[in-house]
Amino acid sequence: MRVLVTAILAVLVAASPAAAFERVGDRKILVFAGRQEVPTIDPSIKYDWSIRMAQQSLYDALVKYVGNPPEIVPWLAEKWESSPDARVWTFHLAKNAKFHNGDPVTAEAVRFSFVRTLKLNQGPAWMLSDFLKEDGIKVVNESTIQFNLTQSYAPFVSFLPWWYVMNPKQVMANEQAGDMGQKWLTTNAAGSGPFKIKRWEQGVLYELEAVDGYWKGWPSKDHIGGVLYKIVRESAAQRAALIRGEADIAEGLSPEDFDQVAKMPGIAVPNFPGMTTFGIKMNTQNGATKDANLRKAICYAFDYESLVKIYNGNAVLQTSPFPNATRGYAAVPGIYRQDLAKAKEFLAKSAYPNGGIELEYVYVQGLEEERKMGLVLIDNLQKLNITVKMVPLIWPNMVARGAKVETSPEMMAVFTTPVSTDPDAVAYQYHKSSWGKYYGSSFYANDGVWGLIDKARTIARWEERAPIYADIQRRIAADAPEIFGMLANRRWGMRDHVKGFVFSPVRLTGEVDLYTLAIVAK
Amino acid sequence: MLFGLTCITFTISHIAPGDPARLAAGPDASASMVETIRVEYGLDRPLPIQFGHYLHGVVRGDLGRSLRTRESVASDLARYFPNTFELVTGAMLLAIGLGVPMGILSAVYRDRWVDQMTRVVSVSGIAIPAFWLGLMLQLLLALELGLVPLGGRLGLMTAPPPPITRLLYVDALLAGQWRVLGDALAHAVLPTVTLCLPALAAIVRVNRAEMLEVLKQDYIVNARAQGVSELRIVARYALKNAMIPTLAMIGLRYGWMLGGTVLVETVFDWPGIGLYAVASAVSSDFQPIMGVTLLIGLNFMLANFLVDLAYGWLDPRVRPAGSA
Repeated sequence: MRVLVTAILAVLVAASPAAAFERVGDRKILVFAGRQEVPTIDPSIKYDWSIRMAQQSLYDALVKYVGNPPEIVPWLAEKWESSPDARVWTFHLAKNAKFHNGDPVTAEAVRFSFVRTLKLNQGPAWMLSDFLKEDGIKVVNESTIQFNLTQSYAPFVSFLPWWYVMNPKQVMANEQAGDMGQKWLTTNAAGSGPFKIKRWEQGVLYELEAVDGYWKGWPSKDHIGGVLYKIVRESAAQRAALIRGEADIAEGLSPEDFDQVAKMPGIAVPNFPGMTTFGIKMNTQNGATKDANLRKAICYAFDYESLVKIYNGNAVLQTSPFPNATRGYAAVPGIYRQDLAKAKEFLAKSAYPNGGIELEYVYVQGLEEERKMGLVLIDNLQKLNITVKMVPLIWPNMVARGAKVETSPEMMAVFTTPVSTDPDAVAYQYHKSSWGKYYGSSFYANDGVWGLIDKARTIARWEERAPIYADIQRRIAADAPEIFGMLANRRWGMRDHVKGFVFSPVRLTGEVDLYTLAIVAK
Repeated sequence: MLFGLTCITFTISHIAPGDPARLAAGPDASASMVETIRVEYGLDRPLPIQFGHYLHGVVRGDLGRSLRTRESVASDLARYFPNTFELVTGAMLLAIGLGVPMGILSAVYRDRWVDQMTRVVSVSGIAIPAFWLGLMLQLLLALELGLVPLGGRLGLMTAPPPPITRLLYVDALLAGQWRVLGDALAHAVLPTVTLCLPALAAIVRVNRAEMLEVLKQDYIVNARAQGVSELRIVARYALKNAMIPTLAMIGLRYGWMLGGTVLVETVFDWPGIGLYAVASAVSSDFQPIMGVTLLIGLNFMLANFLVDLAYGWLDPRVRPAGSA
């Protein structure tokens, strides 16, 4: 009987509305409702926004992106210098940095971490593998590490915030069958970051707790004592959790939901232009869109303001192929805006002066915003006597189609987020080496631009690089390989007791730097 | 049957467009990184060799590895299937517990208000989409009235019990964690009710129709003429005969539901194999897809086997020769 009563009481307690935020003792626990799971936290294997949010919390890197516009600030490395030709980079480590188990963060740990990532050749390896080899990483002394690149590469530091440092002793102690600790690091951490793992329920929730003696210190005395990242897949359920106070932060709400919760008491919606560009990539090597004049006609026919309307005003039109927050961004004068007269002028110069063709527009199945953009295209191009066939595909199939010139659609909706603020990260999307990747599905070809890209990345001095990138932006825009669309704002729903949120556009989609957050409430 | 299923699923998943290695490597991955994954997961081998290797693994209980979760498919299924099992079993028990009596009452009181009410419930259960019902129940009962939790299996601060059977209710009972059990039951209310309704509707309709048919039979009329009470007629003579087709339907439905109830799992964030299967399909992660398909096939076989056993218990005429 007592058991039954206890169970009934437990049911009733569980059913009562949750407190505004969770508490464990005197620790305030932030609840983050997100749609995306964290399948692994191994820094060498994979990253996306949810994975990297966890990695950023559990690990540290030599440097870190902070703020808006993003700046690279010292972290594990107190300072660094490079050779004049940007081939040799030397980093001096903070002496007080320690891993969660108390081991000091040494140059050897840094070397191990970089070598591991290069060896496993997954995750962030692509960022540096063309320039950094294992034998180029040298331990100068316990707190100094040197990277000798195979060639000059000015953007080197810009990728380092995503190369996290692991404790080699812990990793290798948990190695199984020569896997370099991969299986263990899937759900365990060997880091020095501000948080450590408390609970890991794959596909359900992930709990981190703050490291009280974090070597870097905490920015606020009210910093969160822990984070519960809970998987909530439905936008409606996320919204409900936020309103009910069961979540302190929710990402991935629909544009309408964000607008609605922003008006509710107790909820704030931080809203910032991001670095994710939306473009309708056009196949420049195959099909009708091979014709540059046709592409320009399409660029002038498109109603750009509709993109902003689709996002209820929460988007900014691109004024360059580069996102605004990219270093060296330069607005391209006269970038394409809707101008039917110009559209007809270029159409007349194309191989299809009277239109009369059908173009395929491929977009992500289920993504309502991209579907609406397709409807806009249909309406706009109708005025040029061009019909549009809308083809919804799941993302893997879109990537597969965009991987080859022959199969890449005439028009494909693509969101792209650069992982670095260095302009090379964006410019390289238009390089021949990017052909076959989803952001290279236009198969853009311009030897002059490629030459400039190859040259700019080898120059160490920014004053010499900057004008080259301005030229690159103008030339790419002139070739019209895509409809340069917009930068959608990044938004989160937050309870107003969450303070210390620092937006940095270089972070992916829903990613938040949890280190700066605080809860200020009774 | 399972071998046939495996062949079909393997073929379809491998000829469908999409490069699982590229997707697993990430959108920025270089060609060498994609190749690293291809080699690691054996995707560089000819298809017949991949299939042979897979079959060899299945025989040893190795269902391969998921490109998405990086875990073995067997361990993923062991993690997710018990959640689906508990949800579906709970929903089915509720549907049977309510549906059979409702079907009986509806038949016995045909065309009276009991029958009309029951038919409204059964038609609603079939007509209302499960995901819509789930969302509405969430909004009303969880958000507006705060009577039940929004979703998930346990409250945020409730740690699950030690995983002995991996069945949450059973593990909580075995560990004597009554609070955890209560929390789990509270979280199960909305998804169970949502999932129960379509099954309830089907059971009511079939059971009502069968009861009506049986109650018209000569031996029932004869029993009434001999003064047997209506309660005894329904419970002792009619129900057993009416349950046979109902049981067949329950068995098929149960097997089908165990295949993963994606929409309900999505709405209520119930970590079951339906969600696992969809996430795998969207990622072109075919080894989990094949693993889930095998599991569904096995569920159907077991469900039908249990139904056959129940037939024998209900109807002595179908028992094996020589049995009592």
